[in-house]
Amino acid sequence: MGCFDALSARQIAAGIVAGDFSATEVARASLDAIAARDGQVQAFLQLSEDRALAAAAKTDAARAAGEVLPPLAGVPVAFKDNMNLMGTRTTCASRMLETYESAYTATCVQRMLDAGVTPMGKLNMDEFAFGSTTDSSAFHPTNNPWDTTRVPGGSSGGSAAAVASGEITIALGSDTGGSIRQPASLCGVVGMKPTYGMVSRFGVVAFGSSLDQVGPFGRHVEDVALALNALTAGGHDRFDSTSQDGEQDFLAHLNDSIEGRSVGVIPALFEAKGLAPEVRTALQRAADKLADAGANIIEVDLPNMASAIAAYYVIAPCEAFSNLARYDGVRYGYQEPGCSTLAEQSSLSRAHGFGAEAKRRQMLGAYLLSSGIYEKYYLAAQKVRTLITADYRRAFKQVDAILMPASPTPAWKHGAISDPAELYLADIYTISNNIAGNCGISVPVCLGAESGLPIGAQLQGPVFADAQLLTFARALERSCSMEGVVAPGFSGRGGEL
Amino acid sequence: MKTLQQVLEDWEAIIGLEVHTELTTLETKMFCGCRLSHDDEPNENVCPICLGLPGALPVPNEKAIESIVMAGLATNCQVMRRSMFYRKHYFYPDMAKNYQTTQGPIAFVMHGHLDLEVNGEGAQERPDATVKKASDGSYVAPIRILRIHMEEDAAKMNHLGGVEGRIGGASESLIDYNRCGTPLIELVTEPDLRTPEEARLFMEKLRQTFLTLGISDCSLEKGSMRCDGNISLRRRGETTFGTKTEMKNLNSFKSLHDALEYEIRRQAEVLEEGGVVYQETRHWEPSKRRTVVMRVKETNDDYRMYPDPDLAPFDLSDEFIERCRARVPELPDAKRDRYVRTFGLKRDHAARLAGDPAVARFFEETVADADEKLAGVVANVVLNIVPAHPGVDVHQARVISELLAADAVTFAQAHEVLEATAGTDVDPETYVDEHGMRQSTDADALGAIVDEVLARCASQVQQYRSGNKKVVGFLVGQCMKATGSAGNPKLFSQLLVQKLDG
Repeated sequence: MGCFDALSARQIAAGIVAGDFSATEVARASLDAIAARDGQVQAFLQLSEDRALAAAAKTDAARAAGEVLPPLAGVPVAFKDNMNLMGTRTTCASRMLETYESAYTATCVQRMLDAGVTPMGKLNMDEFAFGSTTDSSAFHPTNNPWDTTRVPGGSSGGSAAAVASGEITIALGSDTGGSIRQPASLCGVVGMKPTYGMVSRFGVVAFGSSLDQVGPFGRHVEDVALALNALTAGGHDRFDSTSQDGEQDFLAHLNDSIEGRSVGVIPALFEAKGLAPEVRTALQRAADKLADAGANIIEVDLPNMASAIAAYYVIAPCEAFSNLARYDGVRYGYQEPGCSTLAEQSSLSRAHGFGAEAKRRQMLGAYLLSSGIYEKYYLAAQKVRTLITADYRRAFKQVDAILMPASPTPAWKHGAISDPAELYLADIYTISNNIAGNCGISVPVCLGAESGLPIGAQLQGPVFADAQLLTFARALERSCSMEGVVAPGFSGRGGEL
Repeated sequence: MKTLQQVLEDWEAIIGLEVHTELTTLETKMFCGCRLSHDDEPNENVCPICLGLPGALPVPNEKAIESIVMAGLATNCQVMRRSMFYRKHYFYPDMAKNYQTTQGPIAFVMHGHLDLEVNGEGAQERPDATVKKASDGSYVAPIRILRIHMEEDAAKMNHLGGVEGRIGGASESLIDYNRCGTPLIELVTEPDLRTPEEARLFMEKLRQTFLTLGISDCSLEKGSMRCDGNISLRRRGETTFGTKTEMKNLNSFKSLHDALEYEIRRQAEVLEEGGVVYQETRHWEPSKRRTVVMRVKETNDDYRMYPDPDLAPFDLSDEFIERCRARVPELPDAKRDRYVRTFGLKRDHAARLAGDPAVARFFEETVADADEKLAGVVANVVLNIVPAHPGVDVHQARVISELLAADAVTFAQAHEVLEATAGTDVDPETYVDEHGMRQSTDADALGAIVDEVLARCASQVQQYRSGNKKVVGFLVGQCMKATGSAGNPKLFSQLLVQKLDG
């Protein structure tokens, strides 16, 4: 009946319920597509074939027994490799955790499993989520399915690429400074960072605890909404004291009209240096389409946004230094052999277990937190954080959402940007959203006129207005012709259902 | 070395204490649901959270926060409604995350005080000129408390082959994470203590207070209550502080006192010989009665403290604070005053009873509706007889008190009776009767015996009359012998004196 990559999550779950195909057949189709495509994409770090087939068989048995199937029954899903799933390795794409096996399951992963998904495996990422290319993975890079000589973005590059190449239907990623929205934009898929606190962080290996948020990737806004339903089902997670009760049906208002609602644009951002002309054009067209759908486009300002990167690269490394202190080779993870003292073992395990970017961020954090320095930088960054949060609050009194790019350029070639500072600056459009804890989503709007590569438009919304943000995203998706698109070189390769 | 008193004439000792108390009476750890018990097999009570596995997050134990607020209220502290947890970084395997979750500049409770009543011999440590003393030499020392903050305890490490279980020279180190994450409250005093006795009394009063609150078993030997002492000297009249040293291993009240005494004398000797006191951590060796250097602090450690982003800041509600206040029971000082007021007890008896909640409870159940005379006997029995005979119940203590009050048994006999009946359901009175121990209080019958003894012991009577009053003891013994120990010695004594003087 064709390739499974043409189906949305809702269609797969419905097809299984209707008996058009079984969950096992879908799992096999996904495994087949991965076998045919992932050699070039390299999105997976770990394929869990047995686990996937066992889960699919359980779904089929439940259907045979006449049970009501959960909403994402049989949908092939994979997880960024910083999410614990008991019995699988959770490596964070680091030498440090190369052999580390999870002793428990993250709440977000468990909630997806509870929604009936078929877990296909673990996906590549920048080491410990430090990066925006996925090139800092200790094991291998991931290639952008639209042009395999290019990066998929990061740090959730494996998640974006696996969905863009049609290997799986939904992936989970995590977003600390844009790590879902930027790779979604570069790979031409939908990627959402929910409001901070909407999804439990329990079991997701921490990078920047006050910034990290888990979210879904899909080829349809509706798939992302379905995943968010699953991730928030059960409300507040008692294992994450920063999590909130966000449980609701994100499909309920998905197809509502946006007529009469308002979308903000920030003129200065459209004129920013470094913004590729084709991205500017794509965003202007996206604004026009939202206007065509009845939204009022209103100019707004976030005056302190220029300081966001500076504040972020203080707060995030401080939290990273602290969160990664536990990796010392004593209890688990890479342990330097042949050491004679504890200090030697810890130092060398960390020196050889971490890659360059992970060490750079931790050293930066260790410096910024040291006495005398802390007061100058960390406390100043927190003040900037307060100002940016206030800017957003003011702007969201005028508008329901703000439209901006997710990345200043489409996907670039592997190795094209080698200066870390230049890479950091590319986070300009995504970072302030994490700083304020708002929700954000990247929706593919077109292929670049020059590059032919996908370009995403980012919509940002106020805290806990995630359902409304999805309504805007769906309106934008409807007006563009990118919904459900699989990267052309991979579409239909293997995966016959 | 000079004696403590000699030193303190010339020098003022500035002492501050840091007291760590494990909240042992809670069921679970500070940030996870693991059972709180150190007696189980090593590493039995652990989970991804207290082991610091990748991705695990802490969730605060609300009961622990109730406990610390109660501790604050009981020590006259101010409850800080807004406070938060911080991360304190250091690399050592006893802390699974390589940072300890503790509190920053603002603790849950701050700025309290305990007032110490210093009396007896201990009060003499403080030179008279430096404090206002009462006619009996006692004085009151108000000790300010800077803060009590909440933190998590570290794992227990066992260094095999190391000296005294320490890491130096060890061939292997074992880590038991059962203790890791135990809720710990750290109290820091202002440097208001001036003598080792004051430090000992402060610690004792704090222990009594925490025991009464029921927040910890407060065992110094097992380490559920641990104390470090900071000490420096300055010449009398100086206003700036000298260099301080930090004392460790003070795991008994005696060690706390003796280590501080030694350190005061040591520092005085160093300073008087023109030497320099180094800022260092010193270990008390009880067997050798001296402190030795553990490590020298050349620079302040940089713990890179910052607010823990995994734990939202607290904003304690009035309702929560009032709930804690309602749970604070009658504290030792108030209880002591009530015992004096209600039962007419001697102040030091009342204080000793009130200091230990288990003893106080036993006393109150035993004393019930007793009058002042009986209450005094009950207090004596509970403090001085019952502890020697484990298993004595309230009824037995009450009966023996009544027998003593009626002069039907002697103090020595009371011991004998309780030794035989403790842990059984035998009524002490039955035992006394069955063993013919009841002291006769029939004045006529006893009077006849007294007359008989006086007639027989003419030389002793002569001695008494010529001024040797002590000989009454011998005569009482003779009377007792004559009755086969069935007479009441107190009555015999009274009758003898009456007749001899009469």
